[in-house]
Amino acid sequence: MTYALQILTAFLGSFGFSILFNIRRSKLLIASLGGAFAWSIYLVLGTVLPSETVRYFFAAVFVTVYAEVFARIAKTPTTSFLVSGIIPLVPGSALYNTMKFALNEDWSAFGETAIYTVQLAMAIAAGIMVVSSLIHIVTGGFQHLKAYFKKR
Amino acid sequence: MILFPKEVFSVKTEDLLRVSLDIGEKMLISGAEISRVEDSLRRILAAYKVQRADIFTITSSIVATVTDADGRTITQTRRIQKYNTNLEKLDALNALSREICANAPPLSEIRQALLETEEKNHYPLVAQCLAYALIAGAFSVFFGGTGTDGIAAAGLGVFLKLFTFAVNRTKVNMLFANVAASFSVCTIAFLVTAVLHGLHPDKMIIGNIMLLIPGIAMTNSIRDIISGDSMAGILRFCEALAVAIAIAAGYILASLLTGGLFK
Repeated sequence: MTYALQILTAFLGSFGFSILFNIRRSKLLIASLGGAFAWSIYLVLGTVLPSETVRYFFAAVFVTVYAEVFARIAKTPTTSFLVSGIIPLVPGSALYNTMKFALNEDWSAFGETAIYTVQLAMAIAAGIMVVSSLIHIVTGGFQHLKAYFKKR
Repeated sequence: MILFPKEVFSVKTEDLLRVSLDIGEKMLISGAEISRVEDSLRRILAAYKVQRADIFTITSSIVATVTDADGRTITQTRRIQKYNTNLEKLDALNALSREICANAPPLSEIRQALLETEEKNHYPLVAQCLAYALIAGAFSVFFGGTGTDGIAAAGLGVFLKLFTFAVNRTKVNMLFANVAASFSVCTIAFLVTAVLHGLHPDKMIIGNIMLLIPGIAMTNSIRDIISGDSMAGILRFCEALAVAIAIAAGYILASLLTGGLFK
């Protein structure tokens, strides 16, 4: 039940951000569903992977694949679907906890959560980079092949 | 080296560079990645058969140097002051730049098309207020708040939108605006929970912080660094970090103030 609620709110949150980023028409739905998709992946991975960081990494990997695929279908920059899909993964509560520990002058907990927040951000960025680099290599190779056969 | 016939190069290089930079500038402001801006500019200039084009983009400026077919070298720079993520506009600009690369149309046509992309406005203010309410409410529940927390956070979200809208009008320093926004949202959240019991200020604040934190900027900065645009990445990371600290400062000020009032 809480899982369903989380996925629903992830969808609504991504939908809201898609409006703020001025995404229109059918792209609005794809972008919002990306957020729900990202969080579903995160939840599903929870059954096999204990590490939060690794789950964030793989959730980012899947949502980037999702964004790249739909960007090609809708012929739009990948950013459109990527930024709104990533939104539920943004470590808002980790950041809040970091602030709270700073307020309570609990500096060891502060350091721990601050590092944890950065870790999550880096896991997300790494997940995005792995996929976009691979896609870059694949499409680049494909174009080289096409040019090669045209020449012949 | 390839020499191009003179008649191909009937466009004036200064004008070409100016129009290309217009496109690049608008792309960057609308939320394009550094690599997309540089790549688009390089391709557009190549479509008009320049000998050489060097483009360097960071978050706050674009520098482009072009050597044309006659061997003249021209440099133009743009300073980008303010971002305004508008992905519909970015989409239009991207389509335009593809079109230019394919057909190399006369510059007047590009200027006309650029004017048309300017019409890709944001959703109206009311819709944006609702979006703020939706985001704040949804994330307050997402991070474990109750339904009432969600509704209260949504109300705060509308306030936050109107507040930032008003503050942006005054052209005040961006960091101060963030401190003020975070401070006022947190103060209201603490005051409301002091009066109405059963609300969780933490959850209400987290929902609204999702609207303020530069999560996307932070992620993009790390992407820039990994993909080799380290200058741009480091700048963006510092900006994002400064905003995060501003939000934390607002929160801490608010809880010290209200904590002093109610304890």
